[in-house]
Amino acid sequence: MSINSGAARSVSPIAEFWFTFRRNKVAIAALVVVLAITLVAIFAPFLVPQDPFDLKSLVLRDARRPPGYVGATGIVHLLGTDSQGRDLLSAIVYGLRISLQMGLVAGAIAFSIGAIVGSFAAYVGGRIEAFIMRIVDVQLSFPAILLAFVVAAILGQGKSQLILALVFAQYAYFVRTAHGAASAERQKDYVQAALSVPMSGWFVVTRHILPNSLPPLIVVATVQIASAISLEATLSFLGVGLPATEPSLGMLIANGFQYLMSGRYWIAIYPGIALIVLIMAINLVGDQIRDQLNPRLRK
Amino acid sequence: MSSLLDIRNLRTYFETDKGVVKSVDDISFSLRRGEVLGLVGESGSGKSITGFSLIGLLDETGRIQPGSSIQLNGRELVGLSEKELRKIRGKDISMVFQDPMMTLNPVVKIVDQIGMAIRAHDHASDAEVRRRAIEALARVQIADPETKIDQYPHEFSGGMRQRVAIAIALLHRPQLVIADEPTTALDVSVQAEILREVKALVAEMGTSLIWVSHDLATVSSIADSIVVMRQGKIVEAGPSRQVLHSPTNAYTRGLLDALPSRSRPGTLLASPATEASGAMDFSGLHSAAMGAAPDTAFVRAEAVDKIYAPRVGAIRRFAIRAGFSREPASVHAVKSASITIARGEILGLVGESGSGKSTLGRIICGIYPPTSGTVEVGGQPVRTETGKRGTQAQMIFQDPFASLDPRRTIFQSVAEGPIAHKLCTSANARDYVNRWLRAVAFDPELADRYPHQFSGGQRQRIAIARAVAMQPEIIVCDEPVASLDVSIQAQVINLLMELRRNLNITLLFISHDLSVVHHLCDRVVVMRRGEIVEQGTATGIFNAPQHAYTQMLLAAVPKLAV
Repeated sequence: MSINSGAARSVSPIAEFWFTFRRNKVAIAALVVVLAITLVAIFAPFLVPQDPFDLKSLVLRDARRPPGYVGATGIVHLLGTDSQGRDLLSAIVYGLRISLQMGLVAGAIAFSIGAIVGSFAAYVGGRIEAFIMRIVDVQLSFPAILLAFVVAAILGQGKSQLILALVFAQYAYFVRTAHGAASAERQKDYVQAALSVPMSGWFVVTRHILPNSLPPLIVVATVQIASAISLEATLSFLGVGLPATEPSLGMLIANGFQYLMSGRYWIAIYPGIALIVLIMAINLVGDQIRDQLNPRLRK
Repeated sequence: MSSLLDIRNLRTYFETDKGVVKSVDDISFSLRRGEVLGLVGESGSGKSITGFSLIGLLDETGRIQPGSSIQLNGRELVGLSEKELRKIRGKDISMVFQDPMMTLNPVVKIVDQIGMAIRAHDHASDAEVRRRAIEALARVQIADPETKIDQYPHEFSGGMRQRVAIAIALLHRPQLVIADEPTTALDVSVQAEILREVKALVAEMGTSLIWVSHDLATVSSIADSIVVMRQGKIVEAGPSRQVLHSPTNAYTRGLLDALPSRSRPGTLLASPATEASGAMDFSGLHSAAMGAAPDTAFVRAEAVDKIYAPRVGAIRRFAIRAGFSREPASVHAVKSASITIARGEILGLVGESGSGKSTLGRIICGIYPPTSGTVEVGGQPVRTETGKRGTQAQMIFQDPFASLDPRRTIFQSVAEGPIAHKLCTSANARDYVNRWLRAVAFDPELADRYPHQFSGGQRQRIAIARAVAMQPEIIVCDEPVASLDVSIQAQVINLLMELRRNLNITLLFISHDLSVVHHLCDRVVVMRRGEIVEQGTATGIFNAPQHAYTQMLLAAVPKLAV
């Protein structure tokens, strides 16, 4: 009702956001999981028992051993080993590292392109807006997996090629969202007020329209990072993603897939669980952010 | 027993994140059968929540506290189950809401909406529903009800929709109608008609009416008695004449004194809010307008036309040529309008919604390009081919909640323009902004907060500071006080008058509120459907209006019954 401006200090929108976020226990748990996975992925070389890229350390005799097996080099394989005798736990941690890297880099690039192109289109309007948005519409009418598959197949294997494929498959979602949010902001009085000063179009887009269009973009970003990770896993599973030297989660699953029916479940199941946990945690955080940013659900 | 409604110790509290809000805090009053009660207060006073409490329509977080009592005809309503309350709603007590655009379901025909309300309490055949719906629309003076009931809400104007809402509220001849700001969203001329009709209807039907409003003038024209609320409590209650003529409470007196219609035009209004915010400090300010030579035609708008025509794409154009499609309708918002404003003058631009006054204001400010015609300020055009030229014209908007960027601090919002246009540097922006904030009596200590931490009045002063910090020569004010409480409105009006006097700023004041315009403006221009129908000095227009439309507008303005 009344605002007690004397007692309240300057409360930034971000501080207020965190205050509400803190009260959802599930979202906090999910956030902790995401942060923990991120930290583990960053510090992977110091944490895992074996470097899965170091072929010298692999002992073929230890291949396809069940969880808990003590290998020839004295390493305890907590999650078992794969078909090359690689410690699965180490492989999963390195796989998470690659998956997260792909998801975040591709997501960040697609986010930046989408935010700038979308809000620019909304600001200028007219023919240019129509032109940009029709391209986006055409792209959105194809499934993302198909686009990514085609681009990845054309460009060949490799990290940067895959990132390019993921960005190409996803940027259109960001453009659409940014354009929708920015067109709504474009009509608001504070934008009119800034234009009546007059402030330059660049200033209005970057300082007024873009920051206020961020909430829906952040929601889309969390969903899209999760979907970029699963898209990458899918492509790697299908063999058009990363090369065999960069074993991501998708490739680990693909490698274990052939043993799934022979009782050696752990080779495919554990990377699968890691992938599910990561994507679910990101989605739960994203859900909470969406609920909080959606004015209709706000208390 | 003559009292219909008896409210004793009503307390409605809301449990929110930030603690308990006592929206209605221990109020008692009663209402006789057939009485019209005006429930008056500023925003946040709890007047609407009182209305909602009576009918049991509170949000989940709202609770009527134990010990409260609401008796209708001796029957206790507090503690009734939702099912029992539903039997009362619409039948014994019904409600009319503020926004007529929101209360009707846009995808349901009028006849079916009325039908739903009828069938909530009665069994009725389709033919009977139709008959009663026509009857109901006829009762609220809707012409040609037989055709109108088969239309959808979007085919009705705002006033007609509110009439439908009133017709629905009166369907079951309830004993009590609660009307929550029912005319606030409407034009004055429509408001006057609805007030007159509602007054006649409740008198004829013997219905009691609680008229919730922030506007003392409208309330005084309809209510037998008035209850004034503030911060959840009743500060004054009594017969209308007594409350309006010899108010005993200081707050009520303050509200009345803050009304522009009760003061001599051009004088500062009594406003508790002005006193509370402290004095304006004009020291150390410079602007081009200060000490400028008089100029009777400082702002010249000549033969300005504005036509909004939807863009026609290539395919559509082909279709039109081939005869498959028609030319889209264009809106002629401003028709050949010419006005001049002298330097340092306050010109009032008056009209009802859709009159084109806002469009003309924005063209003069240089935000919109005119379709044809020229606008010059101080002999220079306000626009180039591509956009607004220069900073001599600034603008203040109606809604102070929408006109400040929620993600930028007050300092950032006020400083961005002066920095971009080199009126100050980033290094001394702090000092520069503080001087202008002091000029609008805003504490510079609070400049690093965000807009949501301030009230409507404070925000409007910030918006004014942002405009004057650009050192403009003319400010276009688009309904700057329309969404503000009376005491805050008085404060903003005082501020504008002081700014004009101290900084010699020319003002174009766009408003639908004639009493404010009469108080503030030197000259007045009246617009109707894009055309200027009359212009002249404020005294001339208000004392001897020439054009029939101006006369009608003036007659429609609700006045305090003296």
